[in-house]
Amino acid sequence: MRNLFRAEWIKIAGNRWVAGCLIWIFPIGAVAFFAVAGLVLALSSSARTGLRQDEVFLWTEQAIGVWNFPNNPVGRLILLGFTAVVFAGEYQWQTWKNVVPRNRRAALILIKFLALGAFVVLAFSLMSALWTAGWAVLTRIADVSYGPRITWAVLQDFGEDYALAAGLAFTSTLIAAGYAALAAMFTRSILGGVIAGFALTFVENLSIVALMLIGWFLDIPRIVHLYRFTPGYNLINVASWINDNAPNTMRPFEESKYSDIVFSDSLGFSVALLALWVFGLIALTVTLFQRQDITS
Amino acid sequence: MSTEIAIETRNLCKTFGRRASKRIEAVKHLNLEVRAGQVYGFLGPNGAGKSTTIRMMLDLIHSTAGDVYLYGRHVHRHHEILRRVGTLVEGATFYNFLSGRRNLEVLARTANCYDPRRIEQLLEQVGLAERANQRVKRYSTGMKQRLGLAAALLSDPDLLILDEPTNGLDPGGMHEIRTFIRRLVDEQGKTVFLSSHLLGEVEQVCDRVAIINLGEIVREGAVDELLAGKSTLRVEARPLQRAAEVLRQYWPIVTNETWLTVSASHEDSPHVVRRLVEAGVDVYQVAAQRQTLEEYFLAVVRENGSHA
Repeated sequence: MRNLFRAEWIKIAGNRWVAGCLIWIFPIGAVAFFAVAGLVLALSSSARTGLRQDEVFLWTEQAIGVWNFPNNPVGRLILLGFTAVVFAGEYQWQTWKNVVPRNRRAALILIKFLALGAFVVLAFSLMSALWTAGWAVLTRIADVSYGPRITWAVLQDFGEDYALAAGLAFTSTLIAAGYAALAAMFTRSILGGVIAGFALTFVENLSIVALMLIGWFLDIPRIVHLYRFTPGYNLINVASWINDNAPNTMRPFEESKYSDIVFSDSLGFSVALLALWVFGLIALTVTLFQRQDITS
Repeated sequence: MSTEIAIETRNLCKTFGRRASKRIEAVKHLNLEVRAGQVYGFLGPNGAGKSTTIRMMLDLIHSTAGDVYLYGRHVHRHHEILRRVGTLVEGATFYNFLSGRRNLEVLARTANCYDPRRIEQLLEQVGLAERANQRVKRYSTGMKQRLGLAAALLSDPDLLILDEPTNGLDPGGMHEIRTFIRRLVDEQGKTVFLSSHLLGEVEQVCDRVAIINLGEIVREGAVDELLAGKSTLRVEARPLQRAAEVLRQYWPIVTNETWLTVSASHEDSPHVVRRLVEAGVDVYQVAAQRQTLEEYFLAVVRENGSHA
């Protein structure tokens, strides 16, 4: 399995254009941002004053905040584009025919998911470290405090939240990869995989609107509760638990006769649903791939 | 030659398309037995079912009915048997963004047989050592084909299934690959299952051949046996068109711009001449020659209702 993982890693990291434009751009962008911001702060006293009047800067929040990106809709689309290339590429480059006889199909798919998740987590860990260090430099230039003080309790709390945030990004990647893999399997092309994957994500994100309309017109507003079962909602809910220690409260029919409908779910509910989604998508991908004819 | 059976297909069928109107029977009840330690040629015109059969042997395509056994083990139920097989299927394709060496590393690691020394040795063997660090994107078709052969040999397999291995190679490269394949069998005791359009190549390198047409095996046997006693007559006559019309009624013929190749024996020569003279055709030359595999193949395929 270690060899298979390494093979997958070489393929993912070796596609420098795709990995660079869709993943490495974030840590590289962070470095560029801090270089420019540091220069501005160093040269401009008004910028330093402005920063001092800003919010309180906490390294714990900076380090964890970065991990929200893979969970929001835009971040998920970028992850989906990346994972779609990885899955659909095998069809478009006609490389499955070299790979499939060399190992079990289920192992090939499982390792692809694992390597993709690990790759994204590594990139965002780097991004998180750069972001935290970058703000340390900026706050030092502006002479602003950058807490909290490092104590055992702070580290323990931070460690838990950080692990959850990274785990959530990993989960988000696996869900994006699941959509991408299914799209790739049906379209067998990179462009088709990206478009179909985006379509799946859009449908998922916009399903709340569709459910609201159906609920409104048919006067069965409770149908909107189905949205609580989508990955998008649960990713945001878990992120909310990590960042604010509270659920992401959502009232779909605000200021209407159905305003009593509120989504406010526990961390356990969302974690369980996300686990179900990940397991379901991977199982479906493996099952379909096992039965698929590799004709190209 | 070994008595071990390297490849066996039993009643193998593949149908594409679900709707009756779009259904295509690509392979029909194919029974094949390839003994170990030989070069086995698999011939057929385009669309005959060669690639589909090869893909079923490699578990890339699932059969509609029937089974494939490699070294006595069911290929789908015992996927690990494919560790004894090296493949090159329908043109070598790779990850263009990786170098030749990296591509081999990826494939070796995928098969759990990564050995850097083996990779270097193979790159040397196929003449790519100096350009191994270059991205495959910049390789010519011939170079990709050589890399494909190296990839097929990564795990030092007992059986090589090669689909058009000399595609894109120059005559020198083709000769090299032919010699290489023969050496693998004669010196290392490997088995090679070779599909090729180049019948001259197959005739030179193969011990046995099977001809597949419209999804069915139409001939199978040792090359020498198939061609034994199969001589042809080369006929130069004017007008050639008229000569072709006359002879076609009695013997299978292949026309050329300047002569006809008639699938007839040396003993038929007087009859051929008589028919032509009776039809008012001037005969310049009738020469007997041994039938080539190409001529044999064309005759068999025509006889079985397809044009090659």
